[in-house]
Amino acid sequence: MVIVKRKELSLMERLFLPEIVRALSHSFRAIFQPKITRQYPEEGLPTNEVTRGQPRLTLLEDNETLACVSCGLCEVACPAYAITIDGQETDRFIEREPERFEIDMLRCILCGFCEEACPKDAIFMSDELELADFTRAALVYDIDKLKRPKAALQKRIDYFYKVNDRWRKSSSTS
Amino acid sequence: MTKITINGREVEADPKRPLIAACHEHAEELVPMYCYHPGLTPVGSCRICQVEVKMGEMPPRVVVACRTPVSEGMVVNTEAPGAHDARRQCLEFLLKNHPLDCPICDKAGECDLQDYSFSEGQGEGRSVEPRRKLEKRKSLGDTILLDQERCILCSRCVRFYEDVAKQPQLTVAGLGSRSVISTFADRPLHGNYQGNIADICPVGALTLKKFRFQARVWNLDKHPSTCGECSRGCSISIEVLRRREVKRVRPRYDKDKNKWWMCDHGRFAFDRFNADDRLVGGFLRGAQGLEPKSLERVFDDLAENLRRKGEHVLLVSPWLTVEEGELVRDLAQATGATTRFVSPAADTDLRDDFLHTGDPCPNRRGLTELGFEAVEAADVSTMLAGATCVVLVGESVGELVTPEALAALPRSIRLFLLDTRAYAAPALRGALGVPDASERTGTWINVDGHPGRLAIAKAAPDGVPPLERSLRAVQERLDAGAEVRA
Repeated sequence: MVIVKRKELSLMERLFLPEIVRALSHSFRAIFQPKITRQYPEEGLPTNEVTRGQPRLTLLEDNETLACVSCGLCEVACPAYAITIDGQETDRFIEREPERFEIDMLRCILCGFCEEACPKDAIFMSDELELADFTRAALVYDIDKLKRPKAALQKRIDYFYKVNDRWRKSSSTS
Repeated sequence: MTKITINGREVEADPKRPLIAACHEHAEELVPMYCYHPGLTPVGSCRICQVEVKMGEMPPRVVVACRTPVSEGMVVNTEAPGAHDARRQCLEFLLKNHPLDCPICDKAGECDLQDYSFSEGQGEGRSVEPRRKLEKRKSLGDTILLDQERCILCSRCVRFYEDVAKQPQLTVAGLGSRSVISTFADRPLHGNYQGNIADICPVGALTLKKFRFQARVWNLDKHPSTCGECSRGCSISIEVLRRREVKRVRPRYDKDKNKWWMCDHGRFAFDRFNADDRLVGGFLRGAQGLEPKSLERVFDDLAENLRRKGEHVLLVSPWLTVEEGELVRDLAQATGATTRFVSPAADTDLRDDFLHTGDPCPNRRGLTELGFEAVEAADVSTMLAGATCVVLVGESVGELVTPEALAALPRSIRLFLLDTRAYAAPALRGALGVPDASERTGTWINVDGHPGRLAIAKAAPDGVPPLERSLRAVQERLDAGAEVRA
């Protein structure tokens, strides 16, 4: 059993009024200090290239074809089983492309493993963080909702390469 | 048996088989192989299976294990530095011209070259010269697509046609880095065993057109089962994507039946497992034709009809397993019905002296041993002419009897159909869905008397009970009725 001894209040504290004045002075001073509250829906979330938002698929330079070849490595790396891919054949030089590429955004935990697994620079974590809809089915994103021009993800791609290079140089295996 | 020492352990090796077989059997470390295949003549062209062998007082030598016969007193070291270096150099030369296609290659995940390269761990090539450019989409007939860049010229496919299929069709054409696998004058491959060369290809050079880009192999659930396309009953593995769709069927090693091989007829027959037009649930004839009814009502009605006096016939499918056959036999004994199994006409043009028997009844022997007699599919109508109640039992029985013959049956027959698919017939009184061969367990006895197990590779559609449960339910109702009367 622990007996907590309360601190004895001094005379000034027992009078209360000086303490109220002291507290109010704090509040009044705060009015003139810079505001740190973010007005969220009107004001966006702060993002930069380190932000790991929702994964997005990159398009090649022609802005039409996906860089993805549906190799399924992100699917197998995904710890939340959020990704589903079906492949199909194309006439392009790289013979394979996704017929279906779905990310269940409700399952996605934004870990970035897909980005790391991808051998073709086809999937990157964007700075898009907002996710809301009226049905669950609408949050299973297909290719049309996932594809982005490469320029939109360029900052993240550069950052990703920078970190990879740093990691590679620091590791002793090379 | 010959006594040799492998990695410090004295073992008994079979002198009729090459040294690599003994290494695979007894060594803990796997000796890699590309050109060697236990079912083919060894040629030693890939040189990846090099091991160090010491004989007597001679200094140890590095030899290819697949072309070295086992001899008394051999001391083999599979992990000697010399042997390991030789293997590593071979691997580097094989990878020199091998394209970095793994992300799009159908073999990735079950590729011997990929596995061994990964375990060696040399991630980056040292070569600065460009890789050779060859044809990447060369068609070899209707079944096989050849990617010449990926080929490592192990010649397993060439030897398969020479040794196993006994109809040489492929050869290594060209010289040096321009050597390619090719048929004579670019003729397409023919024969019923083309799919096997895609299985034995150690890299992704030969791929099946039907499986091309269909699935990543690590996503496929592999279920051991038995092929039902002929009475050979080859051991197969049914590979299912996302527990729903059968994507591929591959042979499974079975020393009594098919060894490592299977025919294309059986390999590409899996579309029947992915059919959409399944008969699901129970149906009974009402005022508006066939109406969906609960399974209990269908069992009741079937038992009621079998209990009545008359000429009953239980006509079963040759796809019925032994276990299901026993239940049908019991049912026949309880009702005094005649039992027959439908025997469709033989595929004489598919019959050969290798695997395919030409007899499309996978369980002919099992059913015959149970006392079922065969009836030719063409004679079914005449046989059923005088019957009062006919129950067709088993997968694809309606297809074998032919839908036309079913539709032509007179209305005086009360026809029950327990099948995977529904057929329109005026005589039809009730119908009930049954699982197909990929959805049930059981045993088939093949033409030589070897049993083949069926395993559940995917779930049956909702509302399709196992056939054994349906047959037992009818039997219970018949037994209960008999007790009441007694």
